[in-house]
Amino acid sequence: MYAYVIRRLFSGLVMLIVMSFATFLMFFNGAVDPVRYTCGKACGVPGVLERNRAMLGYDDPVPVQYAKFVKGVFVGRDFPDDPALRKSAPETIARCDAPCLGYSPKENSTVTSMLAERAPISASLAVAAFIMWIAFGVGGGIVAALYKGRWPDKLIVGTALIFYAFPTFFIGLFLYKFVAIKWELTPQPVYTAFTEDPVAWAMGLFLPGLTLALFYIAGYIRLTRSYVIEAASEDYLRTAKAKGLDKRTILWKHTMRSALTPLITLAALDFAGLLGGAIITETVFNYQGLGKLAVDAATTWDLPVTVGIVLTLSTIVILANIIVDVLYAVIDPRVKLA
Amino acid sequence: MIGRAHHAPSSTVALDAPRDESALLRVEGLKVHFPTEDGLVKAVDGLSYTVPAGRTLGIVGESGSGKSVSSQAIMGLHRGSRAQVSGNIFFDSTDLLQIGDEQLRRMRGRDIAMVFQDPLSALHPYYTVGNQIMEAYRVHHNVSKSAARTRTIEMLDRVGIPNPDKRIDQYPHEFSGGMRQRAMIAMALINDPRLIIADEPTTALDVTVQAQILELLVGLQEEFGSSIIIITHDLGVVAEMAHEILVMYGGKAVERGSADEVFYTPGHPYTWGLLSSMPRMDRARLERLRPIAGNPPSLINPPSGCAFHPRCPFMDEAKYHCVSQVPVFNPELPHPVRCAIPEGERHVIFEQKVKPSL
Amino acid sequence: MNRTKASSVIALSAVAVLGLSACGGGTTGNNNGDTGATGGAATAGGDLLYLTKRPAEHLDPQRMYIGRDIFTTGRTVYRSLFQFPAGEKDATKAQTPIPDIATEVPTSSDGKTWTVTLKEGVKWQDGKDVVCEDFKYGVSRAFAYDVLDGGPFQYPTQYLDIPKDKDGSPAYKGPYSKKGQALFDKAVTCKGNEITYKFNKPWGDFPLAVAGLRVFDPYREDQDKGAKNNFVIFSNGPYKLDGTWTKGKGGKFVRNDQYDPKTDEGTRQANPDTITFEEGVDESIITDRIVAGAGNDANAITDRVVRPPSYSKVEPLKDQTTLVDSPYVFYLVPNMSRVKDVNVRKALATATDNEGWVGALGGDKAAVAATSIINPSLPGFQENPIFSKIPAAGDPAAAKKILTDAGVKMPYPIKLTYQGGDPTLDKAMGVIKEGWDKAGFKTSLDPLTETYYDIVNKPNNDSDVFQGGWGSDYPSAATVIPLLFDSRQLSASQVGNNYGQYKNKAVDQAIDKAALITDPIKAGEAYSAIDKTISEDYGYIPNYIQRFYFIRGKNVTGYEQTEATSMFADLGTVGVK
Repeated sequence: MYAYVIRRLFSGLVMLIVMSFATFLMFFNGAVDPVRYTCGKACGVPGVLERNRAMLGYDDPVPVQYAKFVKGVFVGRDFPDDPALRKSAPETIARCDAPCLGYSPKENSTVTSMLAERAPISASLAVAAFIMWIAFGVGGGIVAALYKGRWPDKLIVGTALIFYAFPTFFIGLFLYKFVAIKWELTPQPVYTAFTEDPVAWAMGLFLPGLTLALFYIAGYIRLTRSYVIEAASEDYLRTAKAKGLDKRTILWKHTMRSALTPLITLAALDFAGLLGGAIITETVFNYQGLGKLAVDAATTWDLPVTVGIVLTLSTIVILANIIVDVLYAVIDPRVKLA
Repeated sequence: MIGRAHHAPSSTVALDAPRDESALLRVEGLKVHFPTEDGLVKAVDGLSYTVPAGRTLGIVGESGSGKSVSSQAIMGLHRGSRAQVSGNIFFDSTDLLQIGDEQLRRMRGRDIAMVFQDPLSALHPYYTVGNQIMEAYRVHHNVSKSAARTRTIEMLDRVGIPNPDKRIDQYPHEFSGGMRQRAMIAMALINDPRLIIADEPTTALDVTVQAQILELLVGLQEEFGSSIIIITHDLGVVAEMAHEILVMYGGKAVERGSADEVFYTPGHPYTWGLLSSMPRMDRARLERLRPIAGNPPSLINPPSGCAFHPRCPFMDEAKYHCVSQVPVFNPELPHPVRCAIPEGERHVIFEQKVKPSL
Repeated sequence: MNRTKASSVIALSAVAVLGLSACGGGTTGNNNGDTGATGGAATAGGDLLYLTKRPAEHLDPQRMYIGRDIFTTGRTVYRSLFQFPAGEKDATKAQTPIPDIATEVPTSSDGKTWTVTLKEGVKWQDGKDVVCEDFKYGVSRAFAYDVLDGGPFQYPTQYLDIPKDKDGSPAYKGPYSKKGQALFDKAVTCKGNEITYKFNKPWGDFPLAVAGLRVFDPYREDQDKGAKNNFVIFSNGPYKLDGTWTKGKGGKFVRNDQYDPKTDEGTRQANPDTITFEEGVDESIITDRIVAGAGNDANAITDRVVRPPSYSKVEPLKDQTTLVDSPYVFYLVPNMSRVKDVNVRKALATATDNEGWVGALGGDKAAVAATSIINPSLPGFQENPIFSKIPAAGDPAAAKKILTDAGVKMPYPIKLTYQGGDPTLDKAMGVIKEGWDKAGFKTSLDPLTETYYDIVNKPNNDSDVFQGGWGSDYPSAATVIPLLFDSRQLSASQVGNNYGQYKNKAVDQAIDKAALITDPIKAGEAYSAIDKTISEDYGYIPNYIQRFYFIRGKNVTGYEQTEATSMFADLGTVGVK
């Protein structure tokens, strides 16, 4: 198993290198000139574009820029990396220690510190959403399966579908505007760090978490329902019944074990995806998470942040896949990692 | 959940079998119907038989003949589904169709146990073999885990599984097909049931393993004294171990008799077909088996008259009214046959046209 | 005073320039809400909440180029030599600089040498005096292209009398590298509390630029960390930043105990005890929160307009809303290198349905049809005689006649390129296409997203008409006409802000002449004359002036929107109950 994990980590690393280089290539070979996003109205002033390009180092060939980026990852970098300036005005130089993923002049911050600042927000949101979607999604799916074809089933599946049919931003805006603002049923959803005030943290996460959860709930209800129904028709469930087991044992020990096992891997991957940020929800509720950072970086053509986000998301996804595979090997005795 | 089984009073049921009040199991006029969108599927349509204590009944038929459905009805496995079950199933003097779910549940596995066709799919993939057998024991016996474990190892040993103290902690996928079926048998026998229903217990296994499993079942039956219902499409299997054989076709019994009777003087053209499609050691190896031509009958709209007539090579409406009249099955006879052709003529046909090619 | 980057102007379709127009005090024609100072007299105390969607881009004074940021900080944390008066109902007066840290607004006989005397007793938040050297250091930062970007650096770098390198850039390279420092030290000199700026050509607008931008603000050298200070505020005003500013989230201003109101001539009332800026809030959420007015939301103001879907919700709250013309004008420019026949351009202008466009944007709460690229609120503005004759709804029949008389082949194909991605703008462009097609054009719409400015800036692109928006940098048409129509910014690779590649030697010469006029009104009149010339060429087609339909919390007092702060709420007068 260790060999397996090491092999997977290695291939993940190769993937990260390819992806980061591809990001650089795409960034500089599109129809859009990223420098235009650095000066706004001043872009029309002759010379500004060229000067900003030079200041950002965007006038270097892409491989050179990439090499500098890689160097930064291992030994850190200075921004701007100008030896003369280092002598005359060292206080203006931003130091980005290894592992340096870059420095965003726009955000006035190193990419790593931005990621570190925003990751807890996305993670909190993911946890809140995860708890709600598992509780309602899996719980609802089990109830629907047990009452298959009868009114509780129809009610649950129907309600889930209604929520599923609405776009997330609509649900988010609705919850925000009506539940929090108009009816004042909940406090305004503002992110508070867990370490600062755990209660405010949880309260603030309720609406955005629910918004995000509602997107997953419908899917998980349907999946859980069909997995439970499918598991219930397995031959070994007939065996369990023929053994004389009571209904509760059959349901919770035999049916759920097989129905929920595939859900665990799925939920783990979905959760990992959320760790990388929930773009729409974070935007609606103005949560400064990784998703919002990603959108902002993409819409303002902020290369360092874009690369940092791409790498972070890729790392999360790669690690999550490895973890899920290992997890699967643990929960499903038939699976052997090789 | 309450089942939707329909229970018809037994007095209205035409019996296919002689009454034997002493029999361990007595099935009378059993009907299992499934409502579907296409119509009512009459999977079992008036079946009666008895199984005396310590004896083995072989139920033979093609897929869809109703043999598995009827045996699952004994275990009440249709409860909670849409199946409509009627008739009587007396186990001792208890009608299994009348008792409550909880009472039936306590009998499952303890009094009546089942061995299923495919032991891989019949065992839970996520639990060890030992866990599943211990569970079967502990649900009916209030014993500690370690006692159950000892008992399980003992049973695994008894069914011929080597190193049972190690194998007990392995998962089904780590067992070979034959070992899995042995484990299933151990699970079925662990509560010392009086009736074992073995539903195609060897179909999924290699030929060599098949023989071992059958031998095992026979040996265990002698040891434990259980009754066995063995369900199969393969006459060869029942030949090894059944005392009595019931041939089913289209949800109904078409022939019943002792194993010798059914093998040496089979009365129904369908039984003849089964016999000739049976591989035999003394037959030239390359000679092709002759499966019965045609397809199993529809259970929603069965053929009129004799259900077998569309496939019967000796069908003759003019002489026997095979199409227009349903042939009777007289359970009072020792060797009843549901065929429109008079017995004498059938005997001649068998001796002259069928037997030589068997 | 401008303030928005062109790209954002269009993208947000909502923000920007200098507005004078009617609203000087609340007399605008179609006001639905009230417009003047409102909410009752302001008193000191309380917590003001400033809700916005758009994060501040820079808080470094030299780097600021967005009107809202220039004025929110100018009324709270940054003082300059001059400023615009608060609560001034008269548009001209509101746009006339008054002293701030300067003892008076000086005049310059030749327009090239400006000497300003500083007040005593103005202190930084650490208690040190604001001195001449701080002003000198501040403007020197505009030359630091190696470290800083984003601000209106072109003003100091083009006007200050410093020799140019071969590539046209100033020989002074800013305070970090200190290359050419001696040259700068000659152009900007300190003598006691007197600072002297020497320009290489007359610049009558200098006081306007100082008051309307922050690039001439003082900066403390010992606090300077270059670009790292982008969101750092070192205050000399009545407030200071509490803790740090987080981009996208905002920050909180609290009182600065080193501030002495006696040095400040009544502009910064500094009523609230604290001002909290909350960034990144969706527009419709801002509206809903202020309408609901729960808790601190009752103390909220915003720079975001109420969007059409929220109109019905907001209308009943007449005493919490204002509707004024913004400083931002939106327009179309024909590509002069492709649409060469003046009659074709005239026909386009004649067939343009601005009324329909305004309707598509949401009606008179969102915009009002424009007849000039110069905002009527700018000093010296003269009615544009060409475009004011065309009905706001356009006249396709007359346009068709122009085309017919010109003998061009119809339908005449026109490719209209604009920044897409906004359904409202798509709808509006449909209206424009309809009018043009009626007149004998065959219009194809070409919405571009991120690539818009890259395409527009290619001199050889194949679009016939572009869409743009503009607001002046400070209250002078000198920051409109020359920036948009001077042909000398065109090169083989770039068009600058002159998207239509308009070339007219007479206009270039008139621009040079107008630049020498020091009287703001006379200069304005000169630019209006140039506007007329350009209009005769149909070098652009005016469309609409964006309007600010703002809502504020019910506890907000002393609420003012004047030209002094580009029609954004004036933080110098506002208070909360």
